Amino acid sequence: MSTQAVLETPATGEAPPIPVRAAEFEDPVLEARSLVKRYGDLEAVAGLDLSIQPGEVYCLLGPNGAGKTTTIHLFLGFIEPSAGRVRVSGFDVARNALDARRRLAYVPEQVMLYRNLSGLENLQYFAALGGRETLSSERLTDILVDVGLPLPAVGRRVGEYSKGMRQKVGIAIAVAKDAEALLLDEPTSGLDPKASREFSELIETLRGRGVAVLMATHDLFRAKESGTRIGIMRHGRLVTELSTDEIGHADLERIYLDHMQE
Amino acid sequence: MIRHIVRKEFTDLLRDGRFRWCAAIVGVLLLVSLGSGLVETRRAEAAHSAAQETARDHWESQGEKNPHSAAHYGIYAFKPRLPLSFLDQGVDPYTGTSVWLEAHRQNDFLMRPAQDASAGQRLGALTAAQVLQYLVPLLIILLAFGALAGEREQGTLRQLLATGISRRDLALGKALGVAGALALLLIPAAIVGSAAITVGSPGPAATPLARGTVLAAGYLAYFAVFVALSLAISAWVRSARTALVALLGVWVLNGLVAPRVAVDLSKWLHPTPSAVEFARTMEREIRSGVPGIERPDRDETAARLLAEHGVETVDDLPVNVIGVYLQESEEFANQIFDRNYGALWNRFEQQGLVHEALSVAAPLLAVRTLSMGLAGTDVEQHRHFATAAEEYRRDLMRRMNGDLAENSRTGETYLATADSWAEVPPFQYDAPSLAWVLQNRTLSLAMLGLWLVGAFLVAGSLVRRAEVA
Repeated sequence: MSTQAVLETPATGEAPPIPVRAAEFEDPVLEARSLVKRYGDLEAVAGLDLSIQPGEVYCLLGPNGAGKTTTIHLFLGFIEPSAGRVRVSGFDVARNALDARRRLAYVPEQVMLYRNLSGLENLQYFAALGGRETLSSERLTDILVDVGLPLPAVGRRVGEYSKGMRQKVGIAIAVAKDAEALLLDEPTSGLDPKASREFSELIETLRGRGVAVLMATHDLFRAKESGTRIGIMRHGRLVTELSTDEIGHADLERIYLDHMQE
Repeated sequence: MIRHIVRKEFTDLLRDGRFRWCAAIVGVLLLVSLGSGLVETRRAEAAHSAAQETARDHWESQGEKNPHSAAHYGIYAFKPRLPLSFLDQGVDPYTGTSVWLEAHRQNDFLMRPAQDASAGQRLGALTAAQVLQYLVPLLIILLAFGALAGEREQGTLRQLLATGISRRDLALGKALGVAGALALLLIPAAIVGSAAITVGSPGPAATPLARGTVLAAGYLAYFAVFVALSLAISAWVRSARTALVALLGVWVLNGLVAPRVAVDLSKWLHPTPSAVEFARTMEREIRSGVPGIERPDRDETAARLLAEHGVETVDDLPVNVIGVYLQESEEFANQIFDRNYGALWNRFEQQGLVHEALSVAAPLLAVRTLSMGLAGTDVEQHRHFATAAEEYRRDLMRRMNGDLAENSRTGETYLATADSWAEVPPFQYDAPSLAWVLQNRTLSLAMLGLWLVGAFLVAGSLVRRAEVA
């Protein structure tokens, strides 16, 4: 079964499917208003306004320290905003962090797993914690294989996995959760070109199912390929927003570098 | 939700070679200490029974003898081993388990293994209680120090919390996972212990299983305190290594520093005389009396008896003056014993209270006191036995002196018949009830409860505030 097929089959097993959303949904799934995060004198995020609709893939570009990961951590409720508000599917993250997180899936830059458990056991564990405990082993194995993990590796302990293989398990965890929103922090880090390409297909499929995606990345090519909108961050501020339909790869690179040189 | 965490933690731990090795070592030590404690208790109990029978045989086969000579001949009383004493020897190796009951003296206890053992032997005599009090908490620390700090350090904590699970559920799941792994170690030990209690001789305590149940609950509370402390510190500090160092510090304070401080502080606050000093004081007081407790005088006793019976000479008295005088001397000495031993026991009691009160700083002190109490090897139960043995001695002396006083005349050579010794009832000792023990250990129970509640409250608070990355 291909990635496309796995995702188009409701990832249910015995669990009820999450309904596919229309791309033109009125309320944003991910929303930040006048968001500020300060660490002492440093403003890691400085008055960010962001709104991501269902079926939208928003790519945050920017150099290291621009505030991309901090923004994602604010959406996850791992840190509290100094000012402003973050909402996920209408839930204020500061007040209802658990409700917000239950509607999110998250893939960090470096997916870390339990070394003594197999890839499948790791997926079973995270899926169960994410409320997908009824997914069968066969179904979870299919998800792992479809995100590119070789079948013989599924039952092997994660201690033997490469970084790329761990990243694929992390992506499988996000897929299995069947969440309304996906937060990706440099998700293709450690993936080979083929796996990165498959990842872009996966994002496209999720987008088609109405999932709102926020992806922090340095990869301009992947942002243009997978994103519907691109925001460039610098010093905690969103310096520009672009629609990927309106620009080419070369334009994006030029605009990005122009902003970095300012 | 929590069951998934418990299952994962359990599986993860079982697959961890470090856990398997540590658990195997602690498990073997626990089973060996249980087994050796049981064998030693049985051996000592058999030796005591045999010695008690021999002592009784000797007593009954004295033949015709003056009762006062028989009183000097004396008899041994052996402190019975309670069924749970194989778990925790408590103060028995230091206080002794047998006492010679004779005329004029309240003797010290004999058979003190600690007195005869070298320092090496003392260290080698690892009891099940020591394994439970020292090694199991160490194992808990090794299992749980990375519970949250390790997850944070590895980066898995972010992914875990991103699933939508609450920190409380995560911490609870981890605590139960550690408990599950510990159960693998403790359940076999509990089965061995219960079997030993059930198939063993019931002993003088009628409630060994009830005592065992309370003891198990006390140890479980103690372990739960360490699980909660481990989670609290693991949530609080930045790295797993720091958590391990901090928890080992707690272990050292709890297991090594606090008991030493408790001993020194209790001795400083409530000093006790040395054995030599104590014996000298009693000798002096028995020789000279003290204000209010006058030494009896044989001539005064004779004069009083003559006046009471309205006769002129001791030959006309219906009682033997010597017998009456000897009993009065016994009663005089008993007052001196009560005065000195009473003060000594009170000091021990005050020292014990200091120990129990200091358990506010170290839960070991609370569980150790509770463990000795339930095993029947604490100072209070030693005192309970010593008091019973002394009452028996006093009754024996009363019988001997009464026999001499009532069945002979002053100046006459009197020999009691050979069969009269069997009329003296053998020494019977009933160990105190569980309620009595618990009443004495109220402070330890309260302290353990305080630690349990406090540790979980602190853990809950620190887990709620723990940083994710």
